[in-house]
Amino acid sequence: MVSLRQAAVNQLRARVVRRHGRDTLPISINRRRIYILPTRFGFMLGAILAAMLVAGLNYNSNLALAFAFLMSSMALVTMHHCNRNMLRLSVDATTEVDAFAGREALLEFELRNGTSVDRRDIEVRCLSGVGMDSVGAGESATIEVIAPVAQRGVTRISQFELRTRYPFGWFYSWTYVQGSITIYVAPAPSGNRTLASGSAQGAGSHSEARGDEDFSGLRAYQPGVPLKHMAWKVLARGGEPVVRSYSSLAAQPEWLDWSMLEGLDTEARLSQLCLWVLESDAAQRPYGLRIPGKELAPSGGAAHRFACLRALAAFGVSET
Amino acid sequence: MITDRVTYEQLLGISGCLALALLAHITTLPLWVPGIVVACGIIRLGLARGGRGTPPGPLLVTVAVLVVPLLLVRFHTFNGLVAGTALLSVTAGLKLLETKTRRDIYIITLIIYFVSLAALLEGDSFWLLTYLIGVCWLTTATLLRLTSSGPAPGWRPSLRYGGRVLLQALPLALVFWLLFPRFAGPLWHIPSDSQTAASGLSDTMSPGDISQLALSDEVAFRVRFESATPPNRERYWRGPVLDLFDGHTWSRSASLQNGAPALKPLGPSYKYTVMMEPHRHRWIFMLDWPSSWNLPHSELSSDYTLMQAEPLSRPVDVVGASYTQVQSTESLSDRTRSRDLRLPRERNPRTAQLARELRSAHPDDMELLQAVLAMFTRQPFFYTLNPPKLSDDSVDEFLFNTKRGFCGHYASAFAALARAAGIPARVVTGYQGGTLNPYGDYWILRQSDAHAWTEVWIEGRGWVRIDPTAAIAPERVERGLADAASADESLASPWQRRTLWFSGWRLRFDAVKEIWRERILDFDQDSQRRLLEFLKIPEPDGQKLVMVLAAAMSLVLAWLTWQVRRELAPRSKDETARAYARLCAKLAAAGMPRLPHEGAEAFAQRVARLRPDLADIVGNLCRQYSFLRYAAPTTSVTLGQFQAAVRAFSARQGG
Repeated sequence: MVSLRQAAVNQLRARVVRRHGRDTLPISINRRRIYILPTRFGFMLGAILAAMLVAGLNYNSNLALAFAFLMSSMALVTMHHCNRNMLRLSVDATTEVDAFAGREALLEFELRNGTSVDRRDIEVRCLSGVGMDSVGAGESATIEVIAPVAQRGVTRISQFELRTRYPFGWFYSWTYVQGSITIYVAPAPSGNRTLASGSAQGAGSHSEARGDEDFSGLRAYQPGVPLKHMAWKVLARGGEPVVRSYSSLAAQPEWLDWSMLEGLDTEARLSQLCLWVLESDAAQRPYGLRIPGKELAPSGGAAHRFACLRALAAFGVSET
Repeated sequence: MITDRVTYEQLLGISGCLALALLAHITTLPLWVPGIVVACGIIRLGLARGGRGTPPGPLLVTVAVLVVPLLLVRFHTFNGLVAGTALLSVTAGLKLLETKTRRDIYIITLIIYFVSLAALLEGDSFWLLTYLIGVCWLTTATLLRLTSSGPAPGWRPSLRYGGRVLLQALPLALVFWLLFPRFAGPLWHIPSDSQTAASGLSDTMSPGDISQLALSDEVAFRVRFESATPPNRERYWRGPVLDLFDGHTWSRSASLQNGAPALKPLGPSYKYTVMMEPHRHRWIFMLDWPSSWNLPHSELSSDYTLMQAEPLSRPVDVVGASYTQVQSTESLSDRTRSRDLRLPRERNPRTAQLARELRSAHPDDMELLQAVLAMFTRQPFFYTLNPPKLSDDSVDEFLFNTKRGFCGHYASAFAALARAAGIPARVVTGYQGGTLNPYGDYWILRQSDAHAWTEVWIEGRGWVRIDPTAAIAPERVERGLADAASADESLASPWQRRTLWFSGWRLRFDAVKEIWRERILDFDQDSQRRLLEFLKIPEPDGQKLVMVLAAAMSLVLAWLTWQVRRELAPRSKDETARAYARLCAKLAAAGMPRLPHEGAEAFAQRVARLRPDLADIVGNLCRQYSFLRYAAPTTSVTLGQFQAAVRAFSARQGG
């Protein structure tokens, strides 16, 4: 049964692509792409309505028939309302998303409601994640969908779904948006190799040896920062998690090189490189990345970090 | 999922709706059924309030195992309406008890909808329908609060939304109701529940039976005459004819010969429609001597009572014609003659003696009967609602001792006397007279109009109606019971009849009820045919009805689509402009009219120069206007806020 249903859904999805082609975000949802079906609750209501009708006819009771017809008409009106809840909603999405393998990707969708009717309980379904929010009249809302990503690589999503069961949960209407979203899944940062200090200023023991004299301030915590840099006292006082950062005025650019990791398999190398990227970035040291087929000149900052992580994510993935 | 767990408030809402739906059944269900449901609700709410979940599973099973056999013992079946409703109600109660998630509550809403409908299968009043639509409205609003994620919307917006859905559903429901094909009979046999107490005439009459009916205001039937209305003294509505007498009680002989003998009319024929309320028996009250009627599965018994094959479990309309003055063309069969002369031996000896004396004085039948009537008027006989109780020899006791009686006493005594004198006689029960409702142009026959009279066989004339009550209390027959009963006697509520304004309103109310019945409750195939004829559709039949239904439905659905999507129109720029115009008008009134070429910014700057005190507020408003008018929809300021700000603005402020 489930597989049959899944097959029907897959067929519909494919048909939608053929019929509407690719969408360029943002897109306004028109009526031709909204589908609607009763929910399980809706089917139960249908059965009850049928029973009401039969009872009314059998007892020849015009009042019972009036009640049954009123309820049936309410179901039909509800169908229109459910459909309307999605109509002319404008959808946009963050098209490039970064994530780490084994963690969750945070996908952001922006719904804009330029009409004078509140839209309630709009679900966005993407990968295996679901997010839900309401969008008031003339307002917009950002819906976050959290989807776990297991594999390192570049995941391209070509379709996501909007769905609503409003108002009474009798029907659900849905639509597919053919918007492409790319998730760069960087390798999970891990590994126990320390950076070879021969290339420049080392990490780890060296910086520790310098003591606190190069301490330059506190920065917000980011994944991958060595725990020994955490400002535990600040956290204990109830503050945000922050890390101590050390000045690196005299820092020399450091090359994080694929060739430095002989003896590890590909994924382990990438994970180690990823960890180094995060550590170097956290320590605000300029660094460059060198992997087969790609070389990123030493630099610093968020843009550089993302570029490196995406390069690691895309390693070995054929660009199309 | 944690969010799926029901909260105390959700449980309270749905329990309230269930209780309201059950309230509609309170008169038909045995009280312990709603009692169980209420107990379930209270237990579940108590647990929810204490932060605990559902009661343990074994307890639920025990309750179910105890209650279901209890229902079976009480009703013997789950097929009947009341039994089915009881089972559904108890199911809802048990479901409430074990409700954990929202999904469980969904099931309860469905039961509420169906239980509401079940109430309409029994009742037929406008108020009941209105009440149940209200229950349905409330349940749907509860459902809206239940299904929405995040914080539930408030009651007021939920009710407003539910109401809007309900109103938008009305046209479609009307089209369905008018045009959905009706069937002539039920789809399958309906097990009839034991009749709810319906008073009315029965097929026996003991002295005092009818005086109990005289206290009832219940409507027995209504009549509309097509053209001429017979005078009061000829409006006798024939019910069961009683021909067996045991000295105390009159009853109907079980076997009735086939067909009524032919009659020769002596007066005009009256055409009319009888609109019967349901009652426990098979007969229909037609005017005196019916000559035609349009009721299937019915026939005229040999004593001219119209009988239906089945008891009248639902209202029926019968179009018929009758005569009030007739002559029999056939002679009385020996069998009938002997039946209608039979008197129990050794009963009422003094009556028999009186009959013999009368017979010797009056050889002519008619003269003899006149003498009996004269006796009623001459001797101190009284017409009263509260006659003394009579023993087994009821006629003797009434004629010679108590001399106080109601119509039944007089009819009984008169028929017994006639039989003792050798004249075939029988007692006819039915209704007499009626009240004209001028607001509806029809007659109402209430239980208090129930009456008993006699028919005697006169050779050469046939059955002749003689109403002995007319001799003792002519005003009963001429004007009705309220005038006939003396003032010191308790009628149901004499002031109801005597207070003019009240009876006027009562008649108006009855006229509305009659329209409700005729137009709504009795809407059937025939009405649908007339509807199609009204729509100028040639040769209306079921197929055309379905076609018209389809056409009307697509029209209404198109309207619905338009109606629902209309609200989606982008926020009107006109409204923004109108609010801005109001702002300009306020400033113009303060001596600063906007120049035609001036844009909002320029105007604001000029106002700022002229009235520095208004610079901030006007500058702000003009900026908001530009924003609303020319920028994309935004969250920073809404049209509503802008309109409110313009409304609140006064050029005098800050000065």
